[in-house]
Amino acid sequence: MRFELDEDRALLKASAREWFEKASPLAESRKVMEGPDGLDRGLYAQLGELGYLGLTLPESAGGSGFGAIGLCAVLHEAGRVAFPGPFLDLLLAARALHRVGGAEAERRLADLVAGRSLVVIARSEGVLGCVPSETAARFDRGRVIGTKTFVPFAAAADSLLVTTREGLVLVERPAKGFEATPLPVIDHAQRFAQIPLDLPGTLLADAERSGDALADVDRLAALASSAVALGLVERSLELSVAYLKERKAFGVPIGSFQALQHRAADMLLRVESTRSAVYRAAWAADHDPERALFLGASAKAWCGEAARFVCGETIQIFGGVGYTWEYDPHIYWKRAKTLEQFYGTTRDAIETALEAAGI
Amino acid sequence: MDLQFKPEHEAFRRELAEWLQTHLARPWIEELRDPANDPDRLFEIRRRWQAVLNEAGYLGMDWPREWGGRGATAIEKAIYTEETYRADAPPIPNVLGISLLGPALIHHGSEELRRRFIPKMLSGEEIWCQGFSEPDAGSDLAALRTRAEPDGEDFRITGQKVWTTFGLWADWIFVLARTDASDRYGGITFFLVPIHQKGVEVRGIKQISGESEFGEVFFDGAVARREHIVGKIGEGWRIAMTVLSYERGAMSLAYPAQYDGYLEDLVAGCRERGILGRPDVREKLGRLLVDNEVMRANGLRNLAGFASGEKPGPEASIEKLFWSEYAKRLADTALELLGPQAHLVVRSPHSRPGMDWAYEAQWCRAGTIYAGSSEIQRNILSRRVLKLPEAR
Repeated sequence: MRFELDEDRALLKASAREWFEKASPLAESRKVMEGPDGLDRGLYAQLGELGYLGLTLPESAGGSGFGAIGLCAVLHEAGRVAFPGPFLDLLLAARALHRVGGAEAERRLADLVAGRSLVVIARSEGVLGCVPSETAARFDRGRVIGTKTFVPFAAAADSLLVTTREGLVLVERPAKGFEATPLPVIDHAQRFAQIPLDLPGTLLADAERSGDALADVDRLAALASSAVALGLVERSLELSVAYLKERKAFGVPIGSFQALQHRAADMLLRVESTRSAVYRAAWAADHDPERALFLGASAKAWCGEAARFVCGETIQIFGGVGYTWEYDPHIYWKRAKTLEQFYGTTRDAIETALEAAGI
Repeated sequence: MDLQFKPEHEAFRRELAEWLQTHLARPWIEELRDPANDPDRLFEIRRRWQAVLNEAGYLGMDWPREWGGRGATAIEKAIYTEETYRADAPPIPNVLGISLLGPALIHHGSEELRRRFIPKMLSGEEIWCQGFSEPDAGSDLAALRTRAEPDGEDFRITGQKVWTTFGLWADWIFVLARTDASDRYGGITFFLVPIHQKGVEVRGIKQISGESEFGEVFFDGAVARREHIVGKIGEGWRIAMTVLSYERGAMSLAYPAQYDGYLEDLVAGCRERGILGRPDVREKLGRLLVDNEVMRANGLRNLAGFASGEKPGPEASIEKLFWSEYAKRLADTALELLGPQAHLVVRSPHSRPGMDWAYEAQWCRAGTIYAGSSEIQRNILSRRVLKLPEAR
């Protein structure tokens, strides 16, 4: 038995760390987060060249072949720098395209994986839930009719994978762009939009096949967002510990106060447990398919709580400056909020885990 | 990464599970429920069970064969505890002797001591208790004051030990006693002391559950023989601290396996009460289910690290903090969800078959106190792992 990554994946992770820290340090990425599109298009082209956009695909489909463990290793690093933009969304769209298959999907998938095209899934309708209990959008005589909400990074997207009653439809960006009304959320690095659709599209698969693909995307989203959360909590704890050692009050470092030491210990327990849960779930996704759903949902449910605690307490440890825009804790805390709500809620993950356990 | 047990481990697990099925007359909960079983009888059942385990070669799992062990790996040892917990086998009475004293003798004791004490410790013919904590030396163990003074060739022990599990049934006690008052750590020596002598008195302490599993031991000039010192004079602290690390990984899978059983009982209870579909109930059960699975993930990681020869890290403190705090949440939730019936003690009319939540709800309160309280574990994590400055 061995928990450590094998040599190939350890290398992958190390080079991902190097790349993310160099290409997207917070000092730089803060400008991107506050910029118009919320992403650096150049970096996304590089993600394609690095092969990171094919992480959710088998090698036969142009993917990396590093499996779920490799995927999590890279997302773990992306989380550490709170990498802005639709990285996760592209990975999920790639998986959806791969699952529905067909010539059109494969062509678009190749563009996405190469970093030439930004494709995101447009699924939500209304603002009361991320996954509509009944989809209202229709595909009728070659056109998509309906309104989608919380479409991620829509202003920059080249095409949308729109869920409709008839199935998944690929919709190209019109010449003048999508008619997107921004929906700003707590996480200022995130971009969401509401898009009224009355546009031509291509039906990629019927409702049943699309439903299967989306179920697979949901499973992947639970694991992948957990891996990003691991990076968020790991880095937040590092920020906290450094601050506890450096910040002085009453003439001593605040990290010498037991109240804060014990809080940091509780944060450490959550960070390390998150690491165990995420990589175990990733391992199961690659090697233990029977338990993969349960373990992925368990990791997701755990991460929601763990990130609330660790990222939240980091703001608290920083005190007044923790509540300022200038300091970094809020960036991690906000991303954690986005992951918890928009990539499968904690409550849904708990229910999935219960059902998978036969309860 | 590889979190798969090897075929030989799976085979060991199957063989052990089958053996347990054949040899375990009834689960421990049934023994506790039986009105004929008073504390002494229960102790004898545990002693007999220990002898059966020993006959089959399941004790001292990772000890060398030479000393009555099985020479097994850490993974097999973890599987052993996992399966015995899963089967709800009686807890063995010499648990502290085997987990702490045995390794101390094997790593630090003389050959004479090993020959003299290990076989009867394994068979259960001699029951051992642990004399570490004192009324004024609990979490701050090195503050211990029980002293050992030379008396001719031997030593005389004077002082008081407390929280001594199975003190009332023990034949021997391993004692940390002060041989040098001026040296906090280097003035502590590890003695083996017979209980049945003038100068030793054991009193039971009535616990919140009403039983007296632990007690206090008073020494008033009790004799400890020089040849019964483990290691050298002044090495007691170092030995006591190192033996704790030999247990690494042993419980990594056992607690999650035990809580699997508890959760199953709790879910069944909720189903019987017709509340399993309630969203608030599902949320509570789901969180407990998920957290237990995360505990198992930590355990597998801990074990895998140990098996591949990594140096011990923060795992032990995280593990202890996790399971002991979890156990309280689990029992509190069970009492809440299962209603008044779960408050009925095991021998009350109408008590629930299966899990004894009334006892567990009390017993779990001890878990965050013994073997390094939750606060001590947090101190260890913040100082030794996060390297935060010395507390004020």
